[in-house]
Amino acid sequence: MALPASQSPFAVEARHLVKRYGVVRAVDGVSFQVARGEIFGFLGANGAGKTTTLRMLCGLVTPTSGNSLIDGYDVFADPMQAKARLGYLDEEPFVHPHLTGREFLDYIADLYRMPRGVERQQRMERLLGLFELADRDGELIGAYSHGMRQKIGLASLLIREPSVLLLDEPTNGLDPRSARLVKDLLEGLAARGTTVLLSTHILEIAQALCRRVAIIDRGHIVATGTMGELRTQTGSEQATLEDLFLKLTAGPESKDMIERLLAPERS
Amino acid sequence: MLAGSRVIIGAEILALRHRLLKRGPVRLALLVVLLGFAAIFIGGGSFSLGVAAARYLPQARDPILAAGFTALAVLMFVLGFPTVIASLFVGRDLLQLVLAPVRPVDIFIARMVLAMIANLLISSLLLAGALGVGVGSGASPVFYVLAVPLVITQVLVVTAFQALLMSIVLRWIPARLARDFAAGIAGLTGAGFYIAWNVNLRQSFESRTRVDFTNAASFIQQVGWLPPTWPAHALSGVIDGSAGAGAGWTVLTLALAGLVATAAALLYGRTLLAGLGVFGGAAMTWRRPKQRPAAVARAGAGSPLRAIARKDWLAYRRDIRRLSRLLPALLFPIGYAFAFSRPSKELSGFWSEVFLIAFISMFMSTTLGTPSVPSERRGFQLLRMAPLPMWQVIRAKVALTLPAVLVMTVVFGLIVALVERNPVSEIVELIALGIWLGLGFVAVGVSAGAIDPRFESSDDRRAVGMVGTLAGVGGALGFGALSIGAFALLVFAAGALAGTAHLGSLPSTPAIGALLGAAALVLAAGAATLVGALLWAANASLVRFEDAIAAT
Repeated sequence: MALPASQSPFAVEARHLVKRYGVVRAVDGVSFQVARGEIFGFLGANGAGKTTTLRMLCGLVTPTSGNSLIDGYDVFADPMQAKARLGYLDEEPFVHPHLTGREFLDYIADLYRMPRGVERQQRMERLLGLFELADRDGELIGAYSHGMRQKIGLASLLIREPSVLLLDEPTNGLDPRSARLVKDLLEGLAARGTTVLLSTHILEIAQALCRRVAIIDRGHIVATGTMGELRTQTGSEQATLEDLFLKLTAGPESKDMIERLLAPERS
Repeated sequence: MLAGSRVIIGAEILALRHRLLKRGPVRLALLVVLLGFAAIFIGGGSFSLGVAAARYLPQARDPILAAGFTALAVLMFVLGFPTVIASLFVGRDLLQLVLAPVRPVDIFIARMVLAMIANLLISSLLLAGALGVGVGSGASPVFYVLAVPLVITQVLVVTAFQALLMSIVLRWIPARLARDFAAGIAGLTGAGFYIAWNVNLRQSFESRTRVDFTNAASFIQQVGWLPPTWPAHALSGVIDGSAGAGAGWTVLTLALAGLVATAAALLYGRTLLAGLGVFGGAAMTWRRPKQRPAAVARAGAGSPLRAIARKDWLAYRRDIRRLSRLLPALLFPIGYAFAFSRPSKELSGFWSEVFLIAFISMFMSTTLGTPSVPSERRGFQLLRMAPLPMWQVIRAKVALTLPAVLVMTVVFGLIVALVERNPVSEIVELIALGIWLGLGFVAVGVSAGAIDPRFESSDDRRAVGMVGTLAGVGGALGFGALSIGAFALLVFAAGALAGTAHLGSLPSTPAIGALLGAAALVLAAGAATLVGALLWAANASLVRFEDAIAAT
């Protein structure tokens, strides 16, 4: 269900996004752009502001200030255009526990006004087969394991072929084979022009998949760029993404903290 | 209290405090003011009734107290089952408690306290009434000291009895049937008991306006030996100055409470895990599919409205807790149709039917419409992310609820009208009124749920916050009063135009008829405006919503 692309050169654009909860600034002036067909990594420690940023980008959370643009459309000023192009997978997917997998995909397809018919049905069957859910026909989603919910959540995005995917920990809870499947799938989708913004804790996945990454720490973007650019920025030419991440989000040295924790207490 | 229970209850109180403080100072102040008003008007009304009844019907003090305690027990029994199930057998936090080194009896006590909170709020009405009876009878201070613990004991007995019943079901009914069995018991027993009680009590009324308490007293005396009346006998014993009777009934009440609570606690320990399995989530399997080729897909454009309606329909059929709420809802109109349809001296059959239709329409709309938006739970985020304006979501919910409400209203209205042998013109008027009321009440009900949704609630009956509940009740009463007022004016206007209306001091002329017709239109416009305002507020609330919805 491909929609016409807008004139914007970017598929995703965060413009000075700020989100305040009372006195807490969960996200503080986050800006970045993601080009069409790019897989972009969005990295950060727990509570750094990743999920809040993603939710502002997909329209679930209203920013205190700033703009979220999908395919050039402002998510809050022009929500119907933006949402029609967007697919968001939460780290705990939004599903209906009392529907079967097939019924849920049908529901999502109708919600996005996908034409009914053989083509849609075939696509649904292919997705259920791909994620090994086809033989779970009589089972309600409420009885699915976390990994299976993740898979049906992904299938519910792919059934409608959005041009932009925002994925919050998409491999969370998946077995190694399914995680590999998701990685291959994302690469395939990007090759066909789909833009993927990927938030993950698993730095190996980010390093393997993403051409560029942004690292967020305590609500601020601390670095954006390709691996090479990040290495130059930090002056660590041989560093892995994990080294760069730890350096850019520097907190107390974990080694010292562990030693202090395990040291016998003095009375 | 046991240490484990204290920790669990402490955590719940802390969570409640956070939930309250999250509302902000303005909403909190509003809530306090509203609760204050409710306490003054509803509690004060109940207290005054108690005083008046005790003063003017001194011979009926014991039956009046017995009726109050029985009514409370029945009300808690009918309305409280889903809450007891949710408190004792449902929730991720319960799973955490099972994993922790906490004894089942600690979990039982803590969860019982939670399950009792709603019932204790309801019972404050009875307490106000009972205190009124004490004041009206000039009772000794012992009466007031005893009244509070006896009301709390009554709540404990009913809640523990419900827990015991559920534990028995889980212990001896096969797991695959337990959910349906529990829902059946909860819905049918409660609703049946309530309707039987209501209808019986109504039979003791000579007419709608003159209450014959002698008959009411004799009915209550017939069931005076039942346990729900024991605390009442204890209190009336104190009023009569009979220390022996007061102490005897109090001991019996406390002994019963101890017995039921102990039995429930013992059995709960053995059935907690089974209950978590049975009630903890959706049924494992809906149906085992036969190996058959996929059906040929229907053509046409995908419709969000149809998608939401179909999803809701499937979820309703499969969610046993929602079904258990629907069963009494379906029984109530039948009972009330019977109770209301009997003609009285003061009202003609036609106006009885008008009130019957209004009641069924309002009741069904509240039952089905109000939780329809909050019951989306986390799925609401899917609707927010879809290219779908929120007014379409509201429209879908109204469209899904409306047929059920209209069918119930029109069918029952029609049955009663045919039994009463109303002329065709009156039947047409009643059906037209039913459709108008159905449209309005459903819109009000859905709006109330959308104005203040609690998407994380696992219990539909707690899925709407205080603001939404007040908006729903106020909106329904306002719309109902304006609509029935408009309808009455229209009927009188038609009579005046024909010169046949009895309008008291007003002449039955065409001019008066036109005036009444115009007034009816103003009232109808007011009713429509009220509904429109609530729909607007509902849409604004859903558009504004941006909280995270945790998985429950």
